[in-house]
Amino acid sequence: MSEGVARHGSIRLIEEACTACMICVRECPAWCIHIASHTVTATDLPPGARDRTRNELDRFDIDWSVCMYCGICVDECPFDALVWAGDHHPGAASIGGLLAGREELRSAGGSS
Amino acid sequence: MSAEAVRVVDAVDWLASLTAARDAGYTWFDDLGCVDEIGRSHHFRIFCALVNWDAGPLGVRFEALVPRDAPLIDSLSALFAGASWCEREAHDFFGVRFTGGDDRHILVHEPGHHPLRKDAVLGARAAIAWPGAEGADSAPGRRRMVPPGVPDPAVWGARAVDDPVPTATEVAQSAVGGRVRRRT
Amino acid sequence: MSGFIDWFGDGSVLVQDLSLACCAVESEFAVPVGAPRVESVPPGAHLVQVISGTPTDALADVLAARLRAEFPGIRSRSRVAFGACAIAGGPYWDSWSVTKGIDQVVPVDHYIPGCPPPPEALGAFVAHVRTR
Repeated sequence: MSEGVARHGSIRLIEEACTACMICVRECPAWCIHIASHTVTATDLPPGARDRTRNELDRFDIDWSVCMYCGICVDECPFDALVWAGDHHPGAASIGGLLAGREELRSAGGSS
Repeated sequence: MSAEAVRVVDAVDWLASLTAARDAGYTWFDDLGCVDEIGRSHHFRIFCALVNWDAGPLGVRFEALVPRDAPLIDSLSALFAGASWCEREAHDFFGVRFTGGDDRHILVHEPGHHPLRKDAVLGARAAIAWPGAEGADSAPGRRRMVPPGVPDPAVWGARAVDDPVPTATEVAQSAVGGRVRRRT
Repeated sequence: MSGFIDWFGDGSVLVQDLSLACCAVESEFAVPVGAPRVESVPPGAHLVQVISGTPTDALADVLAARLRAEFPGIRSRSRVAFGACAIAGGPYWDSWSVTKGIDQVVPVDHYIPGCPPPPEALGAFVAHVRTR
């Protein structure tokens, strides 16, 4: 593998950049991304500013059992919150063992 | 190769038009297929692409519409032996009949099942909940998102005994995906 | 689809690769160079049955017969779904003709994800079976 190019075997979630906009979920041809979020009212606004809300992530899963590593989610994310992150999931004894949750995806491919 | 010219002909003139084209130098059979035009018109569009390698090379695509309820057109297999395979595919996937052609099935052996017709429902898509349906943007007043390829259950799904059976057009048009009005 | 690979050349682990589609390029690449092909599984050997590629409903009965065949005297049997198609139908998960995972047909002991997976993942599993 050439230096600086991550293998297309795993995807890292950069949670700080994710706005739970659902674009990756809806673009995924394999329907393998699952997001749950809730809306919170921003508290760090300057005085006089209008109320503003943002989405907070509750759940972000990628099901490696049906993912086809097409990278559409990586390409489509308008906030660059998904990046290729190296090696594949090594395998599991059950199909449920291939579901990667938020914590696993945050640290995919080693620390960022 | 230069861009393909498209010649739309009447279905009854299909064999004669293709014969004339072959005799005019378009001797190379490239492809034959079918498009379900449901939603735009109640037809299947049959197309056949030929190439003239001695001039250009030049490509030409012939198209003809056949009624969706009685899709029948002449076979080109006497003209191009290779067309037979493509016609058998179109027969399997869309239920188009080719007069004088080979009607044996290749892949689909379930009577009446034509999986590439746009009103053919993909069971796996209809059975699994689309993860994109609910999101931060799915507030009650907004239009809801539906995935392409899954007909609206209100049209296609369980209905009362005396409700009318949805037409193929209604099923196909309810499965295009995107934002739709939220049912109350 | 016939024959078995004597993976380590010592009769310890025999691998049967049911190659159905493109993942078979990778599962074939995983085979150690020079591994002998044999026609039967010797008693006392571990058997690994690999499904690499796309199982279809039309083939399901044939595959089930292969995957359920009796091998008298073997030490263990593991079935591996190698790649997205064998695991859950892969890109064809919504198709009218594709089986949504080989575990709809027979129980599977190990799932190796990827489209295709890296060949090393299969090699690692076979090596793990040998240590049992």
